[in-house]
Amino acid sequence: MKKVYLHPLPIRIWHWINAIGFIILILTGAQIRFADSMGLMSFETAVDIHSWLGFILLANYFIWLLYYLFTGKLFKIYIPPFWKPVEFIKNSIRQAKYYGYGIMVGDKNPHHPTPEHKFNPMQQISYLIIMVLLIPLQIITGLMLWDPQLFSSLISIIGGIQIASLIHTGLWIFFTAFILVHFYLATLGHTPMAHIKAMFTGYEEEHEEH
Amino acid sequence: MRAIFITAIVIFCFLASYFIPLKDAVSQDIKSCLKCHSVKTLTKKLEDGQSLSLYIDGDKFDKSVHGVLDCSSCHPDITLKNHPRPKKIANKMVYTNEFSKHCLNCHPQNTLMKPEIHGIVVKKGDIVCAQCHGSHYIGSIKEWKNKASFNEYCLSCHKFNITKTLPSNEKISLKVNEDEIKKSVHGKFQCIVCHNDFSKANHPIYNYKNKAEYRTKMTAICTKCHTDNDLQKNPAHYALTKTASCIECHGFHGVKPAKVAKALPENQYCLNCHSRAISMKMKNGETLSVQVKESDLMNSVHKKLKCTECHKEFSSTQHPIKSFESVKDYRAMAKDICNNCHQDAVKKYDKSIHAEAFKKGVPEAPDCIKCHDYHKTTLITKDKIASNELCVKCHGKEGEAFKSSIHHNALMQGKKDAPNCSSCHNSHDVLSTNIANLNNSCLKCHKDLKSAHNKWLWNPPVRLTTFVDAHFNSASCAACHTNADKSLSVVLFDRANKKPLTESEVAKLLGIDVKEIKRKIDSNGDGKVQEKELWQFMSMVKAKAKANLAGRIDVSNPNDAHKIEAKTKAVKDCAACHSSGVAFTGKMEINRQGAKPVKFELERSAFNSAYAIPNIKDFYVLGLTKIKILDTLFLLALLAGIAVPIGHITLRILTSPIRRKRREGK
Repeated sequence: MKKVYLHPLPIRIWHWINAIGFIILILTGAQIRFADSMGLMSFETAVDIHSWLGFILLANYFIWLLYYLFTGKLFKIYIPPFWKPVEFIKNSIRQAKYYGYGIMVGDKNPHHPTPEHKFNPMQQISYLIIMVLLIPLQIITGLMLWDPQLFSSLISIIGGIQIASLIHTGLWIFFTAFILVHFYLATLGHTPMAHIKAMFTGYEEEHEEH
Repeated sequence: MRAIFITAIVIFCFLASYFIPLKDAVSQDIKSCLKCHSVKTLTKKLEDGQSLSLYIDGDKFDKSVHGVLDCSSCHPDITLKNHPRPKKIANKMVYTNEFSKHCLNCHPQNTLMKPEIHGIVVKKGDIVCAQCHGSHYIGSIKEWKNKASFNEYCLSCHKFNITKTLPSNEKISLKVNEDEIKKSVHGKFQCIVCHNDFSKANHPIYNYKNKAEYRTKMTAICTKCHTDNDLQKNPAHYALTKTASCIECHGFHGVKPAKVAKALPENQYCLNCHSRAISMKMKNGETLSVQVKESDLMNSVHKKLKCTECHKEFSSTQHPIKSFESVKDYRAMAKDICNNCHQDAVKKYDKSIHAEAFKKGVPEAPDCIKCHDYHKTTLITKDKIASNELCVKCHGKEGEAFKSSIHHNALMQGKKDAPNCSSCHNSHDVLSTNIANLNNSCLKCHKDLKSAHNKWLWNPPVRLTTFVDAHFNSASCAACHTNADKSLSVVLFDRANKKPLTESEVAKLLGIDVKEIKRKIDSNGDGKVQEKELWQFMSMVKAKAKANLAGRIDVSNPNDAHKIEAKTKAVKDCAACHSSGVAFTGKMEINRQGAKPVKFELERSAFNSAYAIPNIKDFYVLGLTKIKILDTLFLLALLAGIAVPIGHITLRILTSPIRRKRREGK
């Protein structure tokens, strides 16, 4: 059994704050949207929690961003090797094949994470889009909806508050599906709890090849 | 032969003797009447208290044309046997009427039709025989005609209250007051000097269509003596003669000397004519009084001004002739006079909805003088209640709604800072009840409004007033501060110029008539704009301009905005708007210049349609205007998020024997 230190402490802190925040934001978001049919809490409470958490996650995003920027690992971990596109696509297909077929027939996971190379190609491209595009987009549109007057110039750049709302709601829908699948994928380690444990301890256990 | 002659004489005498006593008998009748009626003091008390003289001058009667008749010819109902008797007579007129009927016994009506004018008088019956001809001492008409002066002759009829009804149904009085003529500058004139088409032998009958024609024709009489050359000596007067007839200023029978001393104070000079009931005629036939009451001037705020300070082109030597198409055209110029001194107020007024309406020709639209009046110009009173009343004169419905507001309460309690109409709508730059303007109007008095709202209306973690602004920008104050029904309204908006698109602009863009716009929007003509109709219309307009719909939450009935309630009754519950279940009505508006916007009922679901995203770009109310299709997508995503792991797990369970075999195989 080999142990790899995949998740440094700041990233673990960021991840768990983000995880709880995401779930509550999705729920309060639903409560705000379905004020007349959902009874978790009052509209005002839902807005208060949603706003507070929005700002907490905004700050939290910077833990992730600053950590990876200062350690210089952002590029290595998140940017797919666009200079080797054929290989990257091949690897992606191999990874997809593993989740769709190999995992059923008992193949080994083709990806072996290292601190420098912790994501498989599919993770890499997804997390790049999520972390660099979708989360900032969700934060910015969130801010627009939080105070449309304060961010009115930004709103007019994107073409109106309806667009802001459309993006924010669209991403809410995406993140809802994403977080469910994300949670399931987290159970696909060599034991169901392996990845989850690693997210607490930082160390990913991996069976050594014989 | 002789015997025959004597017999003849006897017979003649006998026969003659038959007649002679007859004549004697007649004389006897008069004599017996005169026994009493020659007493000068013989009078009869009438029921109205007057006394009627019953005295008859026998000699005078004898010389009259009826001297040969006996009394009973005209008084057939009186005999010695039944006289005197108590006969009740109401008044002299009744008596005259009654006895004039007896004239017709000898002079039947058909013999009285000539001359024609006499026939008219007889037929009309307003004047009876005795009124003109007298009773007992009637002389020969021929003799009287020859002897009478012209004035005496004419006035014998025209002293009476005779009138003539013209085809226009206007009545003119033909009564002439002799005294008035005597006192006038024409006092020594005989009637025919002016009325030279009339004479004792000739009385033409003219049929004027209306008073105006009559006046014009009568004025022509003046110019016979007062020639154009005479009148040109005074240019101001000459100018006037082109707009007013002589008699309008100078009168007719009572013509007064109209020499005006130019040394008179200027206002007196002008008022010399303008204090009279003169009017001017517009090209379209309307008339406008140009009479100025001195008392109005003296009570006005302009009492120290000279006429020419406003009416700059006029002076004691200049009186230009002005000609206007209509009263409206004339009124449009009135503002320019005010503008000489009150530029600020006029500038403000020009921006107002009143000015817009006035320009468009809305008949009830006010200009300066509708509120401030002409010559009795007044300041609008500082008494707030009274000045409110001035607006309410035209805006009654709004005044009624305002009565139920906390503002009106404060006004009635005499609170110093209580608002009246102009506090919100301004006085000269009266604004339409456009949402932005109206909210600004509230802010004028409620200066701490933002911070007051910010005490509870903010989004954590930072208390920002911009959050209040966001709400002020998309909801009218009245939406939360009245108890009225609310609506989600959209206004057609030009996103490029950041101004509402007006009805006429839309018509121009679409190349159609303004009246057709309604049909373009509500294409199925059911009186309500359906979602589909709205988007169809928007795509038409958007093809021509950068149009969009600006939205707001407002009271359904704009007049309800006047019913502002106490602060404690205001809506503070966010979910009152931020919920899809709220029962607001939908409305669509297109602004109109100088008038209230055109309004349509709008299907509420339009706000929740995906088409609202490109068409109502800048208006979004959390919960209320959410795009419904996204809710479905959310549910699908939720299902997919659950189904994918379940499917994968299922496959993994199903394939577990393969993996077990493979492990065992190793």
